[in-house]
Amino acid sequence: MRSLLWKEWHEQRWKLAFGSLILGAFAGVGLHARVIADENLLEMVCFLAVLLLSVMSSTGLVPAEREEGTMRMLLALPVRPSLVFSIKMLIGVLLCVVPLIFSALVSIAIAGGREISTASILALHARTLAATLSLYFWMLALTVRLPTEARASLIAIGVLIIWMMLTLGLLAGEDWHRPGILSRLMALDPFVFLAGFPHTGWVVSLALAACVQATIALALCLWAAWQFPKAKEARP
Amino acid sequence: MSDNNLSHEDSRDERPRDEHSREGSASASRVIEMIGVVKQFGRKHVLEGVNLTVFAGQTFAFLGRNGAGKSTAIRMLLGLLKPDAGTVRVLGMDPQAEPLKVRQRVGYLAEDQAMFGWMQVRQIIAFVKPFYPTWDEKWARHLCERFELPMTTKVRHLSKGQGVRVGLLLALAHRPELVILDDPTLGLDPIMRKEFLRDLVTFLQGERVTVFFSSHLLYEIEPVADAVAILDRGRIVRQAQTEALRENVKRLILPSAAEAVARGLPGLLDISRRGRQIAVVVEDAQAAGAALARQGVSHESIDLNLDEIFEAYVIGRKEPANAEPSLERVA
Repeated sequence: MRSLLWKEWHEQRWKLAFGSLILGAFAGVGLHARVIADENLLEMVCFLAVLLLSVMSSTGLVPAEREEGTMRMLLALPVRPSLVFSIKMLIGVLLCVVPLIFSALVSIAIAGGREISTASILALHARTLAATLSLYFWMLALTVRLPTEARASLIAIGVLIIWMMLTLGLLAGEDWHRPGILSRLMALDPFVFLAGFPHTGWVVSLALAACVQATIALALCLWAAWQFPKAKEARP
Repeated sequence: MSDNNLSHEDSRDERPRDEHSREGSASASRVIEMIGVVKQFGRKHVLEGVNLTVFAGQTFAFLGRNGAGKSTAIRMLLGLLKPDAGTVRVLGMDPQAEPLKVRQRVGYLAEDQAMFGWMQVRQIIAFVKPFYPTWDEKWARHLCERFELPMTTKVRHLSKGQGVRVGLLLALAHRPELVILDDPTLGLDPIMRKEFLRDLVTFLQGERVTVFFSSHLLYEIEPVADAVAILDRGRIVRQAQTEALRENVKRLILPSAAEAVARGLPGLLDISRRGRQIAVVVEDAQAAGAALARQGVSHESIDLNLDEIFEAYVIGRKEPANAEPSLERVA
């Protein structure tokens, strides 16, 4: 297990550094320059984080390995495919978590308590993390069988766009005074953590959405783990 | 051409002599056993009732053209693919039920094996080592020296030959009981292929290990293989000891007047016409010779190498054609 962790860490550490640097730099430069309100800038940083981290972490783990042809070697080792997959998934989660923590720290260091409280910065980043992870599991499950990183990236971007369109549709169709079926469907939407529920308080609704989406993520993970050893790797 | 059941029986008859005296432990000495294995991908039938037996200590050549189903069969031996029907046993275990135990006791080198290019040779060894409880550090170091591997060079910077040697080292360093080599010299130039075989032979000399070697380059297999199985379009068309195969399968040269007799020869694999002669390749030269003698047809018998035998099995024609290579050249 340590051997697999070491390999994945060595392969993914530059992505982790890249994600942290991009988000940290964006937050740092933006907050330092004070061109727009801190809250708006942090919302932009968080939206960028959702797009960047979910795609980067989901497509660089399994399809990239298949593309290089090394998946065949990995699966031929005396190790359970489920363990290989779990470690890859764990590293993917780290790729989402660490840059957001870094971005939160930079934001708090520069603008904590200035226009927006430290708690709000942390809450915004926590909601961003929830949305990112939710999308990450969708992308991971839908790209786990793909033989190339390029194809996986296209699918991942497609997942992003579809969920963004659905979010807009759900928000547009929502009756702001009388919660209906659409507001319940919002619980399935990864972007709900950023868009929020128009008709109810944040806390209760987000807790419900988190439970629903954790269940969905678990189901997606199990499906991806089942599919993981089955697909063929790309041939050079 | 023998059918699958016959080829399976054939393999029993031609197993090493010491196996006959150990009937009780016969199943234990069978390192690989495939019985009636069927596999299809969608509508494509890849393996159609494959029967195969490899005994302990053999260097077994698994021959077939590209796309014959060799790699599919090998992936089943490692538990990477599930057969649609039939039984697969490796070292007495079912690879589907106990894939990790099988892989711990098997060394495997795939065709065109892609390895982690960013790792140095010493790093890839350190990466693979923890997966094998029987990893022999001293033996691994010996192999590194023997194969002249640059330990601090990244795998992506190795030559193709060095890359294959790293793969061979990783397949051998845990002292496996069975080594499965799936066309490992694919893409190497002839010199590198010779070097690889030299390394393999060096390894085999000191070890009582079973080697299952898949290839379509027969001339490189011939010097090392004790037994062969020929896979053609998903079926084993022949399994036998290499020597027995060479003794039995021969080319017979007959006068063209005997063409009708030649067509009726038992175990006919290939027939070609050239000038005033007919050349036939038969599975059992002795039986064919006896049949010709009964008909009063004189013939000349020519030994074949493994390459020619393989050709006769997989592309042999039962009807004579004129566009065959000259008999003089073949002889």
